[in-house]
Amino acid sequence: MIEVEALVKRYGSTTAVDGLTFTARPGTVTGFLGPDGAGKSTTMRMIVGLERPTAGTATVDGRRYAELDAPLHSVGVMLDARSVHPGRTAFRHLLAQARTHGIPRSRVDEVIAMTGLEPVAHRRAGTYSLGMGQRLGIAGALLGDPGTLILDEPVNGLDPDGVLWVRRLVRDLAAEGRTVLLSSHLMHELALCADRVVIIGRGRLLADAPVHEIVERSGGTLEEAYLQLTAGAVQYRGRATTSPTTTTAGDAR
Amino acid sequence: MTTRTPATRVSFAGVLAAEWTKLVGLRSTLWVALGTALAAASLAYGLSLFAGRGDGPTGVSLVVAGSVLAQTGALALGALVGAGEHSSGAATATFTAVPRRLPVLAAQAVVTGAGAGVTAAAALAASALATTDARTRAGLVLELADPETARMLAGFVLHLVGVALLGLGLGALLRRPGAVIVAGVILLVVVDQLLATNPGQVTDTLRAALPGAGARLLLDDAALAALDAASRGPRLGAWGGGLVLAGWAVGALAAGAGRLCRGDVTR
Repeated sequence: MIEVEALVKRYGSTTAVDGLTFTARPGTVTGFLGPDGAGKSTTMRMIVGLERPTAGTATVDGRRYAELDAPLHSVGVMLDARSVHPGRTAFRHLLAQARTHGIPRSRVDEVIAMTGLEPVAHRRAGTYSLGMGQRLGIAGALLGDPGTLILDEPVNGLDPDGVLWVRRLVRDLAAEGRTVLLSSHLMHELALCADRVVIIGRGRLLADAPVHEIVERSGGTLEEAYLQLTAGAVQYRGRATTSPTTTTAGDAR
Repeated sequence: MTTRTPATRVSFAGVLAAEWTKLVGLRSTLWVALGTALAAASLAYGLSLFAGRGDGPTGVSLVVAGSVLAQTGALALGALVGAGEHSSGAATATFTAVPRRLPVLAAQAVVTGAGAGVTAAAALAASALATTDARTRAGLVLELADPETARMLAGFVLHLVGVALLGLGLGALLRRPGAVIVAGVILLVVVDQLLATNPGQVTDTLRAALPGAGARLLLDDAALAALDAASRGPRLGAWGGGLVLAGWAVGALAAGAGRLCRGDVTR
C-alpha cells in the first residue's frame, strides 16, 4: 500500500508537486495520469526516497521508503528505462542489485526469463532498443518479488506482444494482492488494466476514482474524461502547422 | 510469480559485493587499469634510458618514476565509480536498492581503493620489467629489504589509492566524470605548477597543503631532503605528504557524502 499525504516538492521557485494526497491500495492497479510536467515522475521518485519532499509524507506499508530493511522486497520500481549503465550487461546490472539484498543468482536468471531477456542478457545495455530497456527495468522491479510495484510508463517502446504481456502481468500482480501504481499516457491501455485512476495536473490532484466512475461521469471514454479533467492543467501544448506554404519552396535552389 | 524469494535484507557485505560486481562488470575499469600500468611503465622506461649518466638515480626511483602519469589513471578510476553512477543514470537503480545511500559510498571507497591498489601493483611490476635493462646496465639494484625502497614502493601504491579516493569523493560531489578529471588535474598538477613559478613562504606553504604533496611518499630520501631544504614552507617529509593527500581524500569524500545525503538523486 502506498500512502501519499500533502506531498510538496519545490525546486527553487518552481512547484512540481503541490499538496498531493492519494492512496494506492493492495489488490488494485492504480493508474497515475497527468499531462507532461504534472509531477508524476517526481511523485514516484519521492515515494522511493530518491528525492526529498519539501513537505508532506509518502509511505509504503506505513513506513518511509528509506526506513525499510529490505526495500527491494517491499517495492519494485521501474522509473525510466535508462537507469542502467550503458556499459554493463543486463545480467550484471540485475546481479548487482540482487547482491545488495543477498537475493540469490537463481532469482536473477528467473526474472531474466520472465521478461524474455535471455538472448540479450549478456550484452551491454547500451546496445538495447527502447523495448529491451523497458523489459530490463521491469525485470529489476520484479527482482525482490515485492508487494508493491511502481512502474513509470512501462509499455513505452514495447512491441504489441510486450504491451499485452505487461497488461496481463500487472493484472496478475494485483490479483495476487499486490499494490500496483502505474503511470501511462496510453488511455486505452489504462482503461484495460487499471481499476482506479489518480489524475494530477500542475502538481495537484484533479481526480481520484474508479475507472468506471470517471468514465460514466464524462459519458464517453477514459480518454475524453481525461482531456476534460486536465484541460486547464496542460503546460506544454504543440501547435498545428497552420500555413502549408512554408519557406522551403523559396529556399530551394 | 513462480517462486516466492526467501526474505533477505540489505547488508553492508551485500552492498560491497554489489559495488564489486558493478566495478568489474565494466570494460572501462579494465581499460583504465591497463592504461595506467602501461603509461607508468612507458614513462619509467623512457626515463630509464638516461639512467647512469647523470647524478645517479637509485633502482627504485626508476621503478616509481611513472607515477606522474599513473595518478591520472587513478583519478579516472575514482571518477568513473563516483560520477559514472550519476551521469549514466544508474543511480536510480542503485539508490532505490540502498535508500540509506551512505553504505553505497562507503562500499565504493573500499572497491575503488582495492582497484587502485591492484592497478598500482600492476604498474610497479610493469615498470620494474620495463626498467630491467637500464638498471642492469647502470648497476642499480632493487633491494626490497631496504626500508627506503620498501617505503617508496608502498608509497607509490598508497599515493595512487589516495588519488583514486580523491577522484571518488569529487565524483560523488560533482557527478560528472569530465568535471572530476578537470578538477583533479587542476588540484594535483596545475595549481602546484603555478605556485612554483613564484617561490616564497606563502606559496611554498600553499604547495605543501595541496593533494600533490602525496607524491612525497615515493620520493627517495635525498630528493625529499633537497625539496625540504629549498622550501620556505613546512617540512613535511614523506609521510607528512601522504597525510595531506589523505586529508584531501577524506575531505572530498565527506563533501560527496554530504551532497548524497542531503540532496536529491536526479537523472
